[in-house]
Amino acid sequence: MTRLAIRNLFQNRTRLIISVGGVALALMLILSLDGIVLWIQQRVTAYIDASGADVFVAQAGVRNMHMASSSLPADREALVAGVDGVESVTPILYATNVVAVGEERTIAYIIGLPSQTLAGGPWIVSAGRADPGPGGAVIDRGIAEKSGVGLGDHVEIMGRPFEIVGLSGGTTSLTNSIAFIGSEDFSKLRGDPDTVSFLFVRVEPGASPPDVAGRIESEVDGVTAQTRQEFAAQERQVVRDMSTDLVRIMNAVGFLIGLAVMGLTVYTATLLRRGEHGVMKALGARNRDLYASVSIQALVSVGLGLGVGLVFTLLLSAVVPRLASNLGLAISLASVGKAALASLVFAGAAAFLPIRQIRDLDPAMVFRGK
Amino acid sequence: MDNLTLHVSDVTKRFGSGPTEVTAVRHVSLAIEPGEVVLIMGPSGSGKTTLLLMLGALLKPTEGTIRLNGNLISELGEDQLPRIRLHDFGFIFQDFNLLSALTAVENVALVAALAGQKNGTARRMAEDLLTQLGLKDRLDFLPENLSGGEKQRVAIARALVNDPAILFADEPTANLDSKIGHEIMRLLRAIAKGQGRSVVIVSHDQRIKDIADRVLWLEDGEFKEMTSMAIDPVCGMAIERERAAARLERDGQTTYFCSRGCRREFEEEGVAAPQGEGWYAD
Repeated sequence: MTRLAIRNLFQNRTRLIISVGGVALALMLILSLDGIVLWIQQRVTAYIDASGADVFVAQAGVRNMHMASSSLPADREALVAGVDGVESVTPILYATNVVAVGEERTIAYIIGLPSQTLAGGPWIVSAGRADPGPGGAVIDRGIAEKSGVGLGDHVEIMGRPFEIVGLSGGTTSLTNSIAFIGSEDFSKLRGDPDTVSFLFVRVEPGASPPDVAGRIESEVDGVTAQTRQEFAAQERQVVRDMSTDLVRIMNAVGFLIGLAVMGLTVYTATLLRRGEHGVMKALGARNRDLYASVSIQALVSVGLGLGVGLVFTLLLSAVVPRLASNLGLAISLASVGKAALASLVFAGAAAFLPIRQIRDLDPAMVFRGK
Repeated sequence: MDNLTLHVSDVTKRFGSGPTEVTAVRHVSLAIEPGEVVLIMGPSGSGKTTLLLMLGALLKPTEGTIRLNGNLISELGEDQLPRIRLHDFGFIFQDFNLLSALTAVENVALVAALAGQKNGTARRMAEDLLTQLGLKDRLDFLPENLSGGEKQRVAIARALVNDPAILFADEPTANLDSKIGHEIMRLLRAIAKGQGRSVVIVSHDQRIKDIADRVLWLEDGEFKEMTSMAIDPVCGMAIERERAAARLERDGQTTYFCSRGCRREFEEEGVAAPQGEGWYAD
């Protein structure tokens, strides 16, 4: 039966290409979307992950950076620094604004850094320097290239021109990039020199970040302190919450496409083989033999579709970042597992549809020339 | 292979009901003995195929019984019939009906595998049978690359692979030229006589009646006397001599026609008068 199923499948190349291609396309849609969301989640925490801070202190109740605003009185820096286990505290200013070059405007997280910062600065500098200094800015290399500017050129940030003194890497995502300016410039532009956004804390060697975070919250009023892992997890959760509906809808679309393609191709293939199935029944094949043949065809089709879909998604994940610096795909085992599960459902549904057709097939039809 | 006898007793098959009811086979009784070649002939719509389907356990009679070696098979459920079709019966079709995606040897081996043979054994059995039937160099050919005669020999091998007691052949020569058709019929007779299998053939082909042990004429669902039948030389239709629409006496021979049109055509176009065996002219 396996041989017959495989031969039947490969006999009509066009139908095979349509079914495998359709499944591959559907699975690519599911895998790509998952890959993009995962990449965004990874990128959105890239700054947090690479900041060098062990504990993040924000205004009470603020648990992430994305689409959030935190304002802490400047004196909290000294209070946090006095907590047992804290090695250093870096005050960071943060706002969502734009980096503008002429008509080119890119949404960016603007980070105000103190000079000689110990944490929170650019972690990859491909040209120039990491410390923006007065009147200087470090912007993402991809954004600079896209805007046609480089070191020594000027960009507008928060309505004021800054000289590009450094180009950073890994600081862009699908929706925004990160730009670094000096905290004095930031405070002047914001007009509020007595507040900071976040305090990036490094703990002493041997100290436990969760313990230090707990002590900060208990000893300093009006703050929320989280470890890097907790803070990053909150950030990812925000992105996940924002994208869940979209991902679900697109996954459902991919799922329905795959289901329709597989169901239709296996059903029509069974219909076209009606005569041969009738011959087999007349020769003594049982219904379960024919179900097995159809099921094997469906399984092999979706297996090939999964393989092709995976290969093309991996190719896509290699090609996309070269074409667009602010977009990428991160393929996880969980995504592949989800696609494999969807494939099994495709195969199961496709094999189930023709059951009645096979069961009701009258072997006598062979003799009646139908 | 067991020597099985097929007994058909007072079988009737009706399709539909009420005003649309059609009786395809009426009170037919028949016994087929081991090693016997039975040819069932008759005009189109006479019920030949319906009878063959019932003999082959592919259709249940409305009335009457069919027994295989004493066992009532006409009452068996659909779940029990595949075993009989696989092991006791072999089928040969008019259109060969080989599976187009499989090679000659795979077509035969598949049926052996369905009967429970392991793949290697099934393939060896198929190779042996095809070799015996003169297809050693065609084992791995797809059906589309075989001639009509080769396809029918593959179909015969497929019918034989599970060592059935009875072969059913539906118009086995219809898609073959006369020479190949005759070869196929001789082969079926050799199988019957050499291996003790019964062969039941349904056909229009008058030329093959010489290989049969028994020729039965089925018309309007009933067996009739063969000697009263004649063939229209123009259209080939079998007709009862007494009920022929037209006849023509020429050179001491009487030719029977199904219609006056056929006789006119015969006279105008000078269709050769039927000669030789198989043409029922006086």
